[in-house]
Amino acid sequence: MKLLDLLRMILDNLNRRKSRVALTAVGVVIGTASVVLLISFANGMQQNTANQIGNMGDLTTIFVYPGAPMEVGARSGGGGMGAPLEKPLNNEAIEQISTLPGVSQIIPRVDLMGGSMIKFGKLEAWASVVGLPIQDASVLGYTAKEGTTQLERGTAILGGWAVKNFYDPSMRPGQEPPPPPDLAGQQVRVVIFKYSEDGQEIRKTYSFRIVGVLAETQAEADSWLLVRMDDLIPMNEWATGQRANYKRNGYHQLIVKADGVDTVVELTKQITEMGYMAWTPQGIVQGMNSLFTIIQVIFGGIGAIALLVAAIGIANTMTMAILERTREIGLMKAIGASNRDVLSIFLGEAAGIGLVGGLGGVLFGWGGGKMLNLVLLQTLTTQAAENGGLPPTVVVYTPAWLPFFAVLFAAAIGLLSGLYPALRAATLEPVTALKYE
Amino acid sequence: METHGLILTKRLVKAFKMGQQKVLAVNGLEIQIQSNSFTAIMGPSGSGKSTLLYLLGGLDRPTSGSIIVGESILDHMDENELAAYRRQKVGFIFQSFNLVQSMTALENVEFPMWFSGVPPKYRRQRAGELLKRVGLEDRLLHRPAELSGGQQQRVAIARALVNDPALILADEPTGNLDTQSGQNIMQLLSELHRDGKTILVVSHDTRMLRYATDVIYILDGRAVSEMEYRSNSEPSMQ
Ligand SMILES: Nc1ncnc2c1ncn2[C@@H]1O[C@H](COP(=O)(O)OP(=O)(O)OP(=O)(O)O)[C@@H](O)[C@H]1O
Ligand SMILES: [Mg+2]
Repeated sequence: MKLLDLLRMILDNLNRRKSRVALTAVGVVIGTASVVLLISFANGMQQNTANQIGNMGDLTTIFVYPGAPMEVGARSGGGGMGAPLEKPLNNEAIEQISTLPGVSQIIPRVDLMGGSMIKFGKLEAWASVVGLPIQDASVLGYTAKEGTTQLERGTAILGGWAVKNFYDPSMRPGQEPPPPPDLAGQQVRVVIFKYSEDGQEIRKTYSFRIVGVLAETQAEADSWLLVRMDDLIPMNEWATGQRANYKRNGYHQLIVKADGVDTVVELTKQITEMGYMAWTPQGIVQGMNSLFTIIQVIFGGIGAIALLVAAIGIANTMTMAILERTREIGLMKAIGASNRDVLSIFLGEAAGIGLVGGLGGVLFGWGGGKMLNLVLLQTLTTQAAENGGLPPTVVVYTPAWLPFFAVLFAAAIGLLSGLYPALRAATLEPVTALKYE
Repeated sequence: METHGLILTKRLVKAFKMGQQKVLAVNGLEIQIQSNSFTAIMGPSGSGKSTLLYLLGGLDRPTSGSIIVGESILDHMDENELAAYRRQKVGFIFQSFNLVQSMTALENVEFPMWFSGVPPKYRRQRAGELLKRVGLEDRLLHRPAELSGGQQQRVAIARALVNDPALILADEPTGNLDTQSGQNIMQLLSELHRDGKTILVVSHDTRMLRYATDVIYILDGRAVSEMEYRSNSEPSMQ
């Protein structure tokens, strides 16, 4: 039998039994639609999370903290040591880490010691004052919402949330809070305080010009007031009353940049093994990715169960069809159809039901996803606006390969469930089939 | 001498097992049928006529013995070769017509050509010609349920002719028909015989003998002489 004739005959046969084909295909439609919708849903969740993590800054960044204090008990009995030793982030550590393969840059970080407050006119705000020896915050993957990311001595860059923290201390409760001030290019005062021996609070004020406000990152940098490290060191020396020697005693943090996203996680592990505490947002991304893979598998599995039920439906329909058409099969053989012809026809019909159901399912699953996006996106965006945080960009995301895969999968399921009935049809004895009532 | 025959069977046996019991539907049958003959097969019910016809048509396989039809040795053939044999060499006509109910007369006649790879355009044309030949040119688009028994059998005959086989096997083609329709079918078969086909008909209808060039008598799965047949079957026929 020619392939084109075979396809035409399969179409004719399906066409002749429209209502039964449609009823059987409904099962496949439901199964395929749930597979498409559930996988798209899991994909949407993943996309969303990836988008939000993406804003946390550069995914090639590793944050390194001093190593955890070594346990006193674990050390040799010769005690007498005072506080347990931290593994400091000094120059030695920087050298050690820089020898690791895949490290492209190491930026030390110093935090302001002691209390502080930012003042602008009569407005006050709190921010964590951070000093980095950099000329441009874009090295860390940050972008400016206002102004620039370029950092010079005497200037500062504010985090995306810090700028919203300004409030008027003289305001009575219930009064409208003032709108966030436009700070770009403005001078702000950073007031730091310490306590003298007798408990007196002593204040000192430094002045910085705000040159930029960072875009929100949903991470620590949102509450920063970023200054040059050489500006921060004198402030710390005043606050602690000591000369700082970070090169020897260690910085508060090292920001290690890897030369690629794929080396970050391995590098983080190596730094941890050296005895430091290291953390990378890429680790979260990977964790999330494997979590979402699991979610996809579970969701896909639920859909697959629906498809399995549909497959049983197809097998049932085909078995019934073969019983009903036993004489027709006998006749086909009597007029010269080969076993292969009969097998191909019935397999084709089963696959055809799967294909029709698959197409319908993709249409419903995909369309349903679009609708869910429309409805949920709206509510979630309002919610995000109320609770703070980034609104989701998608809820249901159907990757391009999914519809094709789903249709092929449904057709394959049809084919598989038709296999046994079709084989039975093909191997029917012509005489037995012809005599069948 | 045997090679003259289109059909030749040797010690042909077809046994059916029914539980413990073994039924020999065909029991050492030896026949020879000439090309271009019109052979009627006569025999009482249960004597193995249908079984023989199925064996000759390649629809069933013998338990033992051999069947030669033209150049084909049926008992040596595998499934695919048998299918090709049924497709090219024989046309089968059944007592119960065996038309596909959901197909029109035209589609029923076209049906075998799907499997022999005839192009669609030519299929339609050939089916139309054959239906005209059997006198149904005004019933092309009728479905079997919309045709009389005689008309249905004529559709079935047209279908048997579609691949232009040398051999036509008919199992009681008039068995389900009234006298007049039966007569028409017999005439049609006779015309086919005149056109050069070899016709083999199983029939209880003695009028068939008027058209037949040869008669084979079968008793209990064996070919017997007319004399033996008459002496054995006549009492039971009453
Ligand atoms: N599939 C089968 N299984 C068991 N026995 C069978 C089978 N087919 C036929 N027989 C037996 O073989 C014998 C011959 O049957 P067959 O149908 O060939 O008879 P027949 O000559 O065509 O009879 P009729 O004139 O009634 O059609 C019968 O006894 C029948 O019971
Ligand atoms: Mg019979």
